[in-house]
Amino acid sequence: MTELSGIIYAYLSTPRLGELVSQRTSASLPFCGRYRLIDFPLSSMTNAGVRNVGVIMQRDYQSLLDHLGSGKDWDLSRRRGGLRLLPPFGLPNSHSGAYEGNLEALQVVRSYIEDNPGELFILSRGDLVANLDLRAVAEYHMDKGMDITAVCTDKPLLGEKNRFLVNTDGLISQILGDRGGGQGVAGLCVYLLSKELLLDMLDWSAATGKLHFRDGMRWYLENGRRVGAYIHKGYCAQVTTVQEFYQANMDMLDSGKRESLFPRERPIRTKERADVSTYYGEHAKVHNCMVADGCYIEGDLENCVLSRGVRIEKGAKLKNCVVMQDSVVAENAIFQYVISDKDVAVSPYTTLTGSPRLPLVIPKGSKL
Amino acid sequence: MKKQCVAMLLAGGQGSRLYALTSREAKPSVPFGGKYRIIDFPLSNCANSGIDTVGVLTQYRPMKLNSYIGSGQPWDLDCADGGVYILPPYQSAGEKGSWFSGTANAIYQNLDFISLYDPEYVLILSGDHIYKMDYSQMIAEHEKAGAACTIAVIQVSLEDATRFGIMNVGEDGYINEFEEKPKHPKSTLASMGIYVFTWEKLRSYLIADEADPNSAKDFGKNIIPAMLCAGEKLWPYRFSGYWRDVGTITSLWDANMDMLSPDLINLYDADWPICARSPILPPQYVGPDAEIIHSIVTEGSVVNGHVENSVLSSGAEVEAGATVYYSILMPGAQVKSGARVEYAIIGENTVIEETAAVGAAPDGSEGGGGATCGPDLEFPAGAKVPAGAMVYTSEEVQK
Repeated sequence: MTELSGIIYAYLSTPRLGELVSQRTSASLPFCGRYRLIDFPLSSMTNAGVRNVGVIMQRDYQSLLDHLGSGKDWDLSRRRGGLRLLPPFGLPNSHSGAYEGNLEALQVVRSYIEDNPGELFILSRGDLVANLDLRAVAEYHMDKGMDITAVCTDKPLLGEKNRFLVNTDGLISQILGDRGGGQGVAGLCVYLLSKELLLDMLDWSAATGKLHFRDGMRWYLENGRRVGAYIHKGYCAQVTTVQEFYQANMDMLDSGKRESLFPRERPIRTKERADVSTYYGEHAKVHNCMVADGCYIEGDLENCVLSRGVRIEKGAKLKNCVVMQDSVVAENAIFQYVISDKDVAVSPYTTLTGSPRLPLVIPKGSKL
Repeated sequence: MKKQCVAMLLAGGQGSRLYALTSREAKPSVPFGGKYRIIDFPLSNCANSGIDTVGVLTQYRPMKLNSYIGSGQPWDLDCADGGVYILPPYQSAGEKGSWFSGTANAIYQNLDFISLYDPEYVLILSGDHIYKMDYSQMIAEHEKAGAACTIAVIQVSLEDATRFGIMNVGEDGYINEFEEKPKHPKSTLASMGIYVFTWEKLRSYLIADEADPNSAKDFGKNIIPAMLCAGEKLWPYRFSGYWRDVGTITSLWDANMDMLSPDLINLYDADWPICARSPILPPQYVGPDAEIIHSIVTEGSVVNGHVENSVLSSGAEVEAGATVYYSILMPGAQVKSGARVEYAIIGENTVIEETAAVGAAPDGSEGGGGATCGPDLEFPAGAKVPAGAMVYTSEEVQK
């Protein structure tokens, strides 16, 4: 079997996520009650038998390091290979401090790629919510003799910027980028290519100063390479704005979307915590909610997503909210369209209302 | 390397009084309290007490238990020096291998294992109790008392005392008499089946007991009386927290119901976490028309029906129109639309099809109330399982 290796870009803290990424990167943003966004690309890779995964990080990565640890929870703490954390190294002091493009980030970790036993590389963004069957993508890539395969969706994707025109052979004929008015398919920024072609692209990038993978792909297209699109049929969402983050969480209340993201045969792994089962009290009224373990609920919840260890006291009413780990909402507080980050403490009778288009974000650790 | 204390966990018993629930797996791996299996309690207590070397003695149908314990990683017991070891019966050169014939014999057969670590003390635990205990405090008292053996004891009612091994304590505070299930108890200090032995003493008494053909090779019946008889110092370690033996269907059901009252045993305590190996499942989903009242629910569960005073383990499902009252759904159990489950324990992955009815509220009669269904069964639509029933196979229900 062809040896697959993975690289995940976890260096971005997308500014439009605002307070949600003030102390973390997008990849370590809590999602759907018990996950961090990076769990999805990471689990997709390990489910495909990937033994070597490099995670490129650059700044604000404390929360990411805490989450990933040795990689044990993803079966990536191994004697040979496993998880490799790739912080910045060898950057000139004059460097601005943020990678401008993913080819620049890959250049910095070039030696990791060179020494890697992988024959085929999977490059993925760290803030993508999708359960990809990457083994099937790799087989497609090899069966069709592709030089590069881009994983795409044929469904509308919130905040998309990467559209491709695809011909009947599944080959990408044109890169539309954020233009195109809904033609073609939307790329998920997940690519497969051989180690050799990846290193060639890095050489080209160093010579030309082009820093984006998309530019490299265009260069390969112009040189007659076979650049294909693999259509992922399941659920997917990218999380680059507060609105996208909120919508992706609410999507999980839809059973079809939830089952597509969590099929039994490709489990999504995450860091384990020692939580008890969730307690629903005498007064609890819970309707259409995702609830993680370790919660204590005595209030009313409707259309909410609760992370591990959340406490909702008697008389509190939450509707259309996302509540992250270990937050406490005291008696008779009323929330609508609120995203509460970790460790938030809300005092009794607090009322907060956001809107579906602009949910209100309570920053991590706030006391209200 | 030398260790201060090695724990030996007796997990080989069938737990025959759990009937259908242990017909295919050993008692310590029976699911408990939504998130756990019974063995999580002693294993977590060990890890929390700083005991990093644990031998788990297995004998009866150990496959699930072995795979559950694995490397010991969920309990932080996958350490480089020490860790958790599965110890099944084995064969020695020139001898016929033999099964463990009693609790003392099980430890006797593993003296070589303990010798590897040459500990000061050996802690003997059983795999059927729900409690949180700091064994390091018990060891400290054992040291202070200069005892050969320290036995954890708990105050029970005079009426219950007839069901336990009772310790009578002299004026000096040491144990001077041990009575197994006395008709007329002289004290109400019951043995919890948790012992700390000074290793040298334990070894010599186990060797002597093994040589006695009339011995039942049991700690309570033989080793402790022999030590008392020889005038060894036996110290009672008084424990006052929550402790339940879950060796019977009724006590297992009761203790599960106790988990609905966090003031009885606080499992939210970050300083004393009870850890478990969890299946990899998404959070629980509670549907638009679901009602969950005074119950605990675990990850992977999907609830669309009515759940009251119940314990739902990971991956359990209650469909719309189904009701679950005062019941325990073990991992993966499913209650389909219109089915009704009352005062029942539903084994792992058992499916209760539409409109079936299992169990009934107790009516005060003998055997009234609870029904128990073993694992991996399928109850057809419309099936009725009467109160007090014990179901081992799906065929029993078909007729």
